[in-house]
Amino acid sequence: MNSWRFKSIQSNITLAFVLLIVLTSLILSLVSYYLSKEAVQTNAQQYTTELIKQVNTNIQTYVTSMKNIANLAASNRDIRAYLSGEQTGTLVEKQEAEAKISDFFHSILISRSDIASINIFGYEGQFVTGRQNARLNPNIDVTTLPWYKNALRAEGENVISSSHVQPIFEDEYRWVVSLSRELRSSDGTHGLGILNVDLNFSVMNNMFSTINLGKRGYLFIVDENGNIVYHPQQQLIYSNLKTERIDQVLATRSGSFMTEEGADSRMYTVQDSGFGWKVVGVSYVKELVSNKNEMQLSFLALGLICVVIAVMLSVFLSGRLSKPIKQLQEHMKEVEKGNFDIQVPVSFTKEIGRLARTFNLMVAKIKELMDQVVRDQELKRKSELNALQAQINPHFLYNTLDSIVWMAESKKSEEVVLMTSALAKLFRASISRGEELVPIRTEMDHITNYLTIQKMRYKDKIDYEVRIDEAILGYKTIKIILQPIVENAIYHGLKMQQGVGKITIMSEETDTDILLFVIDNGIGMDEEKMRSLLMRDARRDNGRGVGIQNVHDRLQLYFGSEYGLTFESEPGEGTTVTIRMPKLHESAGRRDSWESES
Amino acid sequence: MGKRIMSIRAVLLLLLAAGGAAAVMYGIHYFSGQMNAKPKQITVVIKSMEQSMEFWQVLSDGVQVAAKEFGVKVKVVGPPTESDIEEQIAILEQEILARPGAIVMAATDVNRLVPVAEKINQAGIKLLTLDSGINSKLPLSFIATDNIEAGKKAGQAMKELLGGSGRVAIISFVQGTATQIDRELGVRSVLEENEDIDVIGTYYSDGVEQKAFDTTKRLLLEHPDLTGIVGLNETSTVGAGKAIRELGLAGEVKLVGFDSSINEVKLLEEGVMQVTVIQKPFNMGYLSVKAALQTINGEKVPPIIDTGSVVITEQNMYSDENQKLLFPFVDR
Repeated sequence: MNSWRFKSIQSNITLAFVLLIVLTSLILSLVSYYLSKEAVQTNAQQYTTELIKQVNTNIQTYVTSMKNIANLAASNRDIRAYLSGEQTGTLVEKQEAEAKISDFFHSILISRSDIASINIFGYEGQFVTGRQNARLNPNIDVTTLPWYKNALRAEGENVISSSHVQPIFEDEYRWVVSLSRELRSSDGTHGLGILNVDLNFSVMNNMFSTINLGKRGYLFIVDENGNIVYHPQQQLIYSNLKTERIDQVLATRSGSFMTEEGADSRMYTVQDSGFGWKVVGVSYVKELVSNKNEMQLSFLALGLICVVIAVMLSVFLSGRLSKPIKQLQEHMKEVEKGNFDIQVPVSFTKEIGRLARTFNLMVAKIKELMDQVVRDQELKRKSELNALQAQINPHFLYNTLDSIVWMAESKKSEEVVLMTSALAKLFRASISRGEELVPIRTEMDHITNYLTIQKMRYKDKIDYEVRIDEAILGYKTIKIILQPIVENAIYHGLKMQQGVGKITIMSEETDTDILLFVIDNGIGMDEEKMRSLLMRDARRDNGRGVGIQNVHDRLQLYFGSEYGLTFESEPGEGTTVTIRMPKLHESAGRRDSWESES
Repeated sequence: MGKRIMSIRAVLLLLLAAGGAAAVMYGIHYFSGQMNAKPKQITVVIKSMEQSMEFWQVLSDGVQVAAKEFGVKVKVVGPPTESDIEEQIAILEQEILARPGAIVMAATDVNRLVPVAEKINQAGIKLLTLDSGINSKLPLSFIATDNIEAGKKAGQAMKELLGGSGRVAIISFVQGTATQIDRELGVRSVLEENEDIDVIGTYYSDGVEQKAFDTTKRLLLEHPDLTGIVGLNETSTVGAGKAIRELGLAGEVKLVGFDSSINEVKLLEEGVMQVTVIQKPFNMGYLSVKAALQTINGEKVPPIIDTGSVVITEQNMYSDENQKLLFPFVDR
């Protein structure tokens, strides 16, 4: 399960990219899918609306032509005269009038194949038809037919029937749409008869049946009373095997509504014809977006391609991004192994480049420091050796031994004992356990022994005084720091002087540091000489100052550059050497760290 | 290093797996959707393909309307005439090879089509019968007019026309056909429960109008007390009606018929025939496709689906509901 935590930057970046792109493409696909779906659906709706409007226009054209014929007939004076019985002279005259009217109707019928018949039924039994070979159906009483009765009721207005079978002619049962109208006298006071214009319903039926609203959609027409003029499933509706939302259609003037039937939801587009009929297009909502599946599939395919590209891209990009980091890591490993001679190539990326540069600087610094440490250690060893050498200065040893011999010859046994024991203590202290740091107390014992020997050697030429504060005796110091200074004071300050030379050793304690003063009242020295004391080259000249230089170096090596020796001197007046070192308690760990280091 | 590559691989694998799974799921969904949207074809084998056979033309119309509505492919085939039993069997044999999802069959013979019905069943094709059934329990459903019920309607109409008493003859068509038997059963069951109505007998026209005319004329002459005639199909009814008209007995001898045609409409208008009982072939065709589709989808369908019949009189023949039944075609 560890691998799921994505510990590497690359997998993190990859994951982030992939998630980001997958999410984005998902949202985009979904949004565009729904937008396209909406667009397609809107288009389909508009298409349906346009189609229904077109159908309506065609129907209106037919109805208008019927109305025009009716108007033509109604305004025809011959017809009115014939119906009003003004010309009812002889039978021949009547027949002539009938023939004239019939010819008039017939000529219209010939020019209009969509019109099935034009007939006039006078209230006084007159009958004229444009169909010259047709005979009236003897078994039918026209006055009982709905279109006749409706025309009577409408008093001169045009009445458009629903589609129906017209039984008025013998052996002929045509489906027609009838326009009927009462023809009135010229003064408009009374009716003369009924005019009837029949339109072949087949022309409309053919038009309707060829209209496709999707695979399953259909078109239907109802009249103002909710009677079906046309419906592809008319028989099913009459048998109650199907229901149609006629009430809802009648309540809708023009426009559309949807039904909630789940997968079979339908959209009804209603168009009012203006003369009572309503043309209704019914589309299945599912079909409005007919290629929904293909759309879904292509959007899914696009999404998948996006994801694949996303994965490849993010692997590539994260690889590129994490490559310099990896490089840096490799180099760090090298450094870990101890190879400091490394330069990381600075990459183009700003942040990583900065990191690489800083790393390079750091490695260089470490290298420098390491070198310095090595140098310092070397120097330290050398200084220690020098100190040791200074301590067991052979001249000093010979001279001291000479003095002892001389004192022994003079039978000065007390002095011999004193000097020898001081010499012994001196050496014991310096050889003592090889430790570098010793309590100031030990260092004081050591210098006291040394001064004792020197005082005995130089008799009355040297006097000394040690005035050390008891409180500082417990602090630690590096050993053999006083001896070279005192030695220097004796050999270069006091020896050449007339009279008694005095060396005073004093101490001072500050908050952080301890100051030791070695004061002599010797010949002193000038500025130049003082400066040369701490200059490395100078020590070779006459052997002078080798010890002093060594002490200064050691103090600085151990405690830092702010510590070491300072000089104050006035030629002829004497010299004061100040040793500055930090306060180090006996238990201080510094010593241990130094020891463990060596 | 190894771990990192592992985790990247894990991510990639996870994504690929997810994508693949999604694609497979979608594919299954998509193709199952296709399967549902396009079920197997349905073949409807009718008795006659002849244009003049209005009943079968209207029935085919109903079939096509259902095909469009349910989005199913339907093929309508049949022999040229109703008597071509061998031809119908040959057509069925041929259609089995095309392996439709269902075959709806209007059997030209009750017994002779049983072997081919068994073959259909063995081929794993759903079998339904339409209008005329077979002597077999294999069909999953029988979509037809309930002819006993239709016969009862005719009997009831005759009973009412006679006003409670009279003598009635039944002009039937081919002896032994299921339709004829059922209709006669229905007519008789109503008329014979009334003691004052006497059914003098059933006479067969063999589906020939002239024979029906001759038979009726003879009966009317031989039995002057005859007050009612029931014709059990179109030819029988029209033949009987023409005989009544010729003998000038229109109105005196009541006529109740079956089915519809221009001749029957005229008889109704003239008052020679008072009532005709008609079937609903459009609904029959429509419902047969619907039922066939249900059987293909594994749904249960009732063993008998009654498509109903309507009593037509001179008064209601031009009503919105009935004129579409009597005059099914707009183009004429």
